[in-house]
Amino acid sequence: MKKSTQPCRINFRQNSQEALQNNSLRHAMRYATDTFRDKRFNGIQGVPFEEWRQRASDLKISVLENLSGYGDQFAANATRRGAIIHRAVDAAHARELVGDILHDHGAINVVKAKSMVTEEIHLNKYLDDRGFRVIETDLGEYIVQIAGETPSHILAPALHKTRHQIGKLFCDKLGCDFSDEPHVLTNTARKVLRPEFIKADAGICGANFFVADTGSIVLFTNEGNGRMVTTLPPLLIVVTSIEKALPSIKDLPLFMRLLPRSATGQVLSSYLSIISGDQIPGLPSGSRRLHVILLDNGRSEIADGPHREILKCIRCGACMNVCPVYGTIGGHAYESTYPGPMGVILSTLLNGLERSHPLLDATTLCGACSEVCPVKVPLLKLLYELRERRVEDGYATSMERFGMLGFGLAANSPFFFETGQALAKTLWSLARLLSPVTVNRLPVPTDRTFKRRMS
Amino acid sequence: MKNKELIRIFMENASKVAAEPFCVTNLSEMNQILAKILEKDTAIYCPNMTELEKSVQLDPTRLVDTFMHATATVEEVVAGIAETGSIVVTSANNRAVQVSLLPARHVAILSASNIFETLDDFFNGIGDTIPSNITFITGPSRTADIELTLTIGVHGPEKLFIILV
Repeated sequence: MKKSTQPCRINFRQNSQEALQNNSLRHAMRYATDTFRDKRFNGIQGVPFEEWRQRASDLKISVLENLSGYGDQFAANATRRGAIIHRAVDAAHARELVGDILHDHGAINVVKAKSMVTEEIHLNKYLDDRGFRVIETDLGEYIVQIAGETPSHILAPALHKTRHQIGKLFCDKLGCDFSDEPHVLTNTARKVLRPEFIKADAGICGANFFVADTGSIVLFTNEGNGRMVTTLPPLLIVVTSIEKALPSIKDLPLFMRLLPRSATGQVLSSYLSIISGDQIPGLPSGSRRLHVILLDNGRSEIADGPHREILKCIRCGACMNVCPVYGTIGGHAYESTYPGPMGVILSTLLNGLERSHPLLDATTLCGACSEVCPVKVPLLKLLYELRERRVEDGYATSMERFGMLGFGLAANSPFFFETGQALAKTLWSLARLLSPVTVNRLPVPTDRTFKRRMS
Repeated sequence: MKNKELIRIFMENASKVAAEPFCVTNLSEMNQILAKILEKDTAIYCPNMTELEKSVQLDPTRLVDTFMHATATVEEVVAGIAETGSIVVTSANNRAVQVSLLPARHVAILSASNIFETLDDFFNGIGDTIPSNITFITGPSRTADIELTLTIGVHGPEKLFIILV
């Protein structure tokens, strides 16, 4: 997959055609999105979900209205607890900060817990190039890393791989006996990664939230690798983005109820860690040095603009699992860190229309995403607005522009409309010869039009 | 809500997330359950810090001083949450939160008086200076990263027992 650091335009159309021809991928995506969707549906039964999501939405909007204020409050409180706070304006700045902190501490072996923000800034490649040895420890991320690939789903990164492929991969790369039993493969990963946690010089993770009034980092995990990464190595670097602020620790229960239910249908993930500052000298729990990097990377600008509500997103993945486009082609076709409906919007805003506008085709405008979003991001409205902006900024294809112009004329004039109908009927066989694939998908124009029937 | 009802809801929700809860009425019952759960463990770690931990009676030859290579941990946890069936461990009072993470089996002793009805109840009573690490544990370590097949016991414990006293 191409990295999004490349300025070239995303070739979404071709990527999706390729994805459509990959039967095992389509099967895996359909199965996975169906499963996640059912789990979420069952998870929100019997709870006041509508009331919760309204409260969460209101709260996230109040956060967006005072992003820098909550960032400052977090920084002050976390510093008071012994953490060292850094602000990164963009991806390159954040990468350098992480590299320099590791270098200053003489760290070589680094264990990572799953973090979408570090994917966004392409941290692993940068650290590899600087000579650090970085190991992903989330099982799905680990599989994707040793295969030399990128995640296809934000919750289940190795979703596109079958158990047979993973068995073969482990056999080749780790030298173990072949097995395609998930529990055997999981146990192999446990055995291989345990010594890595123990010998690691540093841990790197993201955060689901950070809390302004206590200076805390909040991390939801299921496997336990997040707890290992944040409590075993002597140095911990947390890379998070500025919109993940919550005003108070008392706001946490609401999001503890919303996030796992929306993501996997769980009442709560197996582990939830709240980390406030570094280890007090003499105490055995927690890293001895804690650095937090607050990444902006264009978010302040988005927060001041008309599409700011995308920053309410808490990365549960629910919008992806109900999206008919995502469920058919999977995450790789988007060539972006964040796929699916929220990904289309966020990628377009973060990377610009020039590179990302083809992604705006990745929607049927059905609106299922808006209905499931736990923080009421108006995804459908944002998709509409960005598609309008694509036309205004001149990124629409000439075919689309002239087609729409023609339709506009015809729809405004009964004469043009009827002429158009007659032309379509007359030229249909010719069009069918010229472009059989497209034309055969369309209904054949009829002699008895609606107007004629009514008159 | 009455304590009995809280215990019932806690037990029910903990079972739903694949934890194995037991409810006992006295310390000798607790030790009987512990003996059964830990029958096959050869290296058991117990911090021996709280009154309940000091009441744990196990064959001393099977006890170890460090949790790094223990097969099981027995410890008292600070709270239970009825709403979610979670237990809470913290770094307060010089405790290592890793003891509930590295060994493959985690036995949590929970005083019934420390069960909170909701998450909000817990956070409302948390005070101003919170410990540097608070971890909610809801069932054993799990993953579904290979073909979405639920697999218990990835990096953390594969078994979580909770003994309510």
